[in-house]
Amino acid sequence: MPDELILNKEHLTGFLRKIANERELIAPVKNQYGDTLFEIVSCVDDVSLDLESRPVVPPKNFFLPRTEILFNYRHEGKEYRFEEALPDISRVLFGLRSCDLWAILFFDVVFQENFKDRYYLNRRSNTILINIGCHKPMQNCFCKSAQSGPFLAYGYDLQFTDMGDRFFVEIGRPGGRELVEKWDYFFEPVTQKDRNEQYEIVLEAESGFERIVDFDTAVSRFINDEVDEALWEELGNRCQGCGGCAYVCPTCYCFDIADRPVSDSKGERVRTHDACTLAGFTRLAGGYNPRHERRRRIRRRFYHKLAFAKERYHRPSCVGCGRCVEICFGRIDMIHFIRTVCEQPGKAMKASLRLGEILLDAGLISKEELKAALEKQADTGKPIGAQLIEDGVITKEDVARALGIQLGIP
Amino acid sequence: MHRVLTTCCFCACGCNLYLEVEAGKIIGVIPSREHPVARGNLCLKGWNSFGFVHHKDRLQYPLIRRKKHLVEANWEEALDLVAKRLLEIKERHGGRSLGVFSSAKCTNEENYLLMKFARAALKTNNVDHCARLCHSPSVIGLNNAFGSGAMTNSISELANAEVILVTGSNTTEQHPQIARFIFDALAKGAKLIVVDPRRIPLSRFAHVYLQPRLGTDVIWLNGMMKIILDEGLLDETFIKMRTENFRAFTEILRKFDLKQVEAVSGISVEDLERAARMYAGVKRAAIIYSMGITQHVSGTDNVQSIANLAMLTGHVEREFTGVGPLRGQNNVQGACDMGALPGTLSGYQDIASEEIRKKFERVWKTDLPSDRGLTGIDMLHSVGDKKIQGMFIMGENPALSHPDLKATRAALEDLEFLVVSDIFLTETAEFADVVLPAASFAEKDGTVTSTERRIQRIRRAIPPVGESKPDQQIICELASRMNYSMHYESSAEVMEEIAMLTPIYGGVYYDRLDKGWGLFWPCTNPDHPGTPFLHKGSFARGKGRFEYVVYRPPAEMPDDTYPFYLTTGRIYPHWHTGSMSRRIAALSRERPEAFVEINPKDAKRLGVANNKPVRVISRRGEITVKVRLTDDVPENTIFIPFHFREAPANILTHDKCDPGADIPEFKVCAVRLERVQ
Ligand code: SF4
Ligand code: SF4
Ligand code: SF4
Repeated sequence: MPDELILNKEHLTGFLRKIANERELIAPVKNQYGDTLFEIVSCVDDVSLDLESRPVVPPKNFFLPRTEILFNYRHEGKEYRFEEALPDISRVLFGLRSCDLWAILFFDVVFQENFKDRYYLNRRSNTILINIGCHKPMQNCFCKSAQSGPFLAYGYDLQFTDMGDRFFVEIGRPGGRELVEKWDYFFEPVTQKDRNEQYEIVLEAESGFERIVDFDTAVSRFINDEVDEALWEELGNRCQGCGGCAYVCPTCYCFDIADRPVSDSKGERVRTHDACTLAGFTRLAGGYNPRHERRRRIRRRFYHKLAFAKERYHRPSCVGCGRCVEICFGRIDMIHFIRTVCEQPGKAMKASLRLGEILLDAGLISKEELKAALEKQADTGKPIGAQLIEDGVITKEDVARALGIQLGIP
Repeated sequence: MHRVLTTCCFCACGCNLYLEVEAGKIIGVIPSREHPVARGNLCLKGWNSFGFVHHKDRLQYPLIRRKKHLVEANWEEALDLVAKRLLEIKERHGGRSLGVFSSAKCTNEENYLLMKFARAALKTNNVDHCARLCHSPSVIGLNNAFGSGAMTNSISELANAEVILVTGSNTTEQHPQIARFIFDALAKGAKLIVVDPRRIPLSRFAHVYLQPRLGTDVIWLNGMMKIILDEGLLDETFIKMRTENFRAFTEILRKFDLKQVEAVSGISVEDLERAARMYAGVKRAAIIYSMGITQHVSGTDNVQSIANLAMLTGHVEREFTGVGPLRGQNNVQGACDMGALPGTLSGYQDIASEEIRKKFERVWKTDLPSDRGLTGIDMLHSVGDKKIQGMFIMGENPALSHPDLKATRAALEDLEFLVVSDIFLTETAEFADVVLPAASFAEKDGTVTSTERRIQRIRRAIPPVGESKPDQQIICELASRMNYSMHYESSAEVMEEIAMLTPIYGGVYYDRLDKGWGLFWPCTNPDHPGTPFLHKGSFARGKGRFEYVVYRPPAEMPDDTYPFYLTTGRIYPHWHTGSMSRRIAALSRERPEAFVEINPKDAKRLGVANNKPVRVISRRGEITVKVRLTDDVPENTIFIPFHFREAPANILTHDKCDPGADIPEFKVCAVRLERVQ
């Protein structure tokens, strides 16, 4: 079986019907209200597939559900009994966008880097991914800048290119090959003309982006601490803490785990999506919140998406899907943010600000207090912490606590 | 897994969302992107609105009080008992001794059925609901001025306004989607005026921010109108063509002394001039207000003043303008529309009119009482003369939401018989003789009407939890036990009856609602497209009516013994009495406990510290609550949210009410603070 094939459009339904008979098929479906969502499709003939618009929420919910029961527990007398709820279902995700597929590859790294998350991996290893390259990027798509689209070079099981009356199909990984081999009669060999045409479509798609942003500059400004404090202030005022930007982001993976009693003797341990813009996300037991101001939390969000991911995974974790661009209550969005950061003049801050920043972050001192202490420190030559303590702005305990928290010491 | 489109159960923005159902449980929600208000996102409450549905505290079976304790019972027993006791009281003391609280959290159909039950089966017009506590002055004030008490324009029009005046509404926290349209307008260059005693988050984006003292709204509104009059910024053509009583109005307004403004409200005349010019100087200006305007003894006056201002400048009757009272509960608009009010049947049809009564009597097949009933406040706050002996409370929680809780709770305690239907054992249900477990929004069909008068579906996604039943079913089963037959196949059939009897809902049918995103009332017949903005070309009452309003101060002002102003309200992650939001992990985590906002200068004087408890004392009672220091409240003013049962703000508030609307003055009372040693 060659690596490239042609699927005439009239055979798409037949191919998907076969898949749906054997596995759970998930595909973007436009419902009667006009919304496009990834749906479990049990009968292909009953739904209208929508391969032209971006589903409202990303496919991550099928790997990391909004609410997921990890195990059930029961206690009888002193004894606890547990019953694990491991997912076990074979799926095919059809009609992914490249950005969303790339986001899944990112999850693959995250969910096995420190420990192997069996819930995620069970689902993931049982799922075949078929993406459809974006021949017509939508408004607010910027996967090209994020280098996660519009077409992928690897990572997919199958990649489709829409060529009008037929799909150009590329086989990436064994899962894809398995499907194609099984129902090979739907497919035809490619010609050189098909290849040329597909190449043209890719080129055209690449040039079709309205939104181009400069991730590299933004990341380096971040890493060098050159983002103007006033910007955080503004974004902090705008954010209303809905959590939406995290809930709709294909690469946001933060979750919360809690026990949910069902009755007096039974309960469930559940995992739910979480969002870093929420106050409760960073508040520690005892009520202390190292990022109690909204601007600190917004900063954290962008830091994590851009600089942290770059340092850890060598690329930002934003895949440019554009979802957060359209939905923010305060009109904050990734495109706007990157552009603003790139536009503002570089303002390098001194490294000695580090402790000051930590204390500022923790809300223990104000900007004014820090500024005053820095000025005094220039005369006295004392370390900034000592200066702040001397000025009676904070106590030794405060400093120790803030540092402890910053370093992850409980 | 499957998904069911429905309407959010929290606020009256009316976002549509999909409930994700797996194995009979709701596991998540997804916002609708096509829905014109949700636009692909929800506030934190909406995103977590499924979180209470399967909570272990859900009431699963009826409870009956036996030897002081509420114990498990079956439906037969519980309903028989309720019917028997209500009938007994009715026979002994007459229907007027019974009272009913309907619910702004229940559907239109349920509100309609409960008010029908009250009037037709119990023979009482004592039916009310929590709109009494939030927008009764809007219903009266805007009705007097314009002829209809609802938002004049639709929400999305805000995005195209040139000036938006927000007063007494903490919009980002209470109506997030409306704030989102305000941000859209700002991005298009609109100007924002915020007038609020608290420095609310939106004030940071205001081009003019005015900080009046609590309860001085009539003063600054009159001042603003005086400036507009003096500077000739009024819309004379509009006034001439579309309004009445202007001459009498201006005769008094002309004499208004602008010096009063600063003395009484603390707003400087220069600032007020800036606001007046900004608002009057453009074609498309809208006013948004909420309970900061209505929850005063002068609530109706405040609303009338706002209407005066809009008419003076011609900022009503047109697209992208108008007056928008933001309704709180998901269906508070609908509960009013359905006649869960003492004086009106559905569609604001006067119970006193014989002709109207006849129309309903023909369909309901019984006689109706003709005298206006008692308001919710009078039902619970006139304990002395023992008017109300038995009550049916559906999904409301006065034991936490009413003013002067000691008095409220004493009144509940005093009732001969109380039946409560709710989804949790609320503070009110704890007083009940019978508690009936109700189904939540996810477990029933119906419609709700959002703040922009948009009638939308809620759809059943899962069967009722435990043995709970939709209120619609509870009411009908009860009625039949009381010799009054109420039988409906479905909520759609109830809506057919509503449409038949209610002109403004005359064209509302489920098949129409299922196409598109609901209908705006008035929608008078099956071909009527609905009305996104009211008063187009002419006010509902014919001509808009100017009425000069004289300032009256709040009922209780700070003095030497109680030197602080207390104002109460809500916060973003929580919902009213917290029975749902505090049971949702993500919401309760945002604000797990009660707090009082105090200005740091006051705190210093009193020697109280951030995060430390303080005692707040009023003439009615006291609570202990943790301090939260913030400049957002001015000196001498404290703010306490009323969501928290451990520190109920309404222990402190008083029950003095607006004379016309009978709304208590939740926004102002006097307290003192004491350090807790
Ligand atoms: S979408 Fe906007 S308002 Fe909501 S949490 Fe994200 S940044 Fe804040
Ligand atoms: S940050 Fe925004 S644009 Fe980037 S991947 Fe997440 S939702 Fe998409
Ligand atoms: S804005 Fe209101 S209707 Fe919309 S999600 Fe939030 S609470 Fe629900």
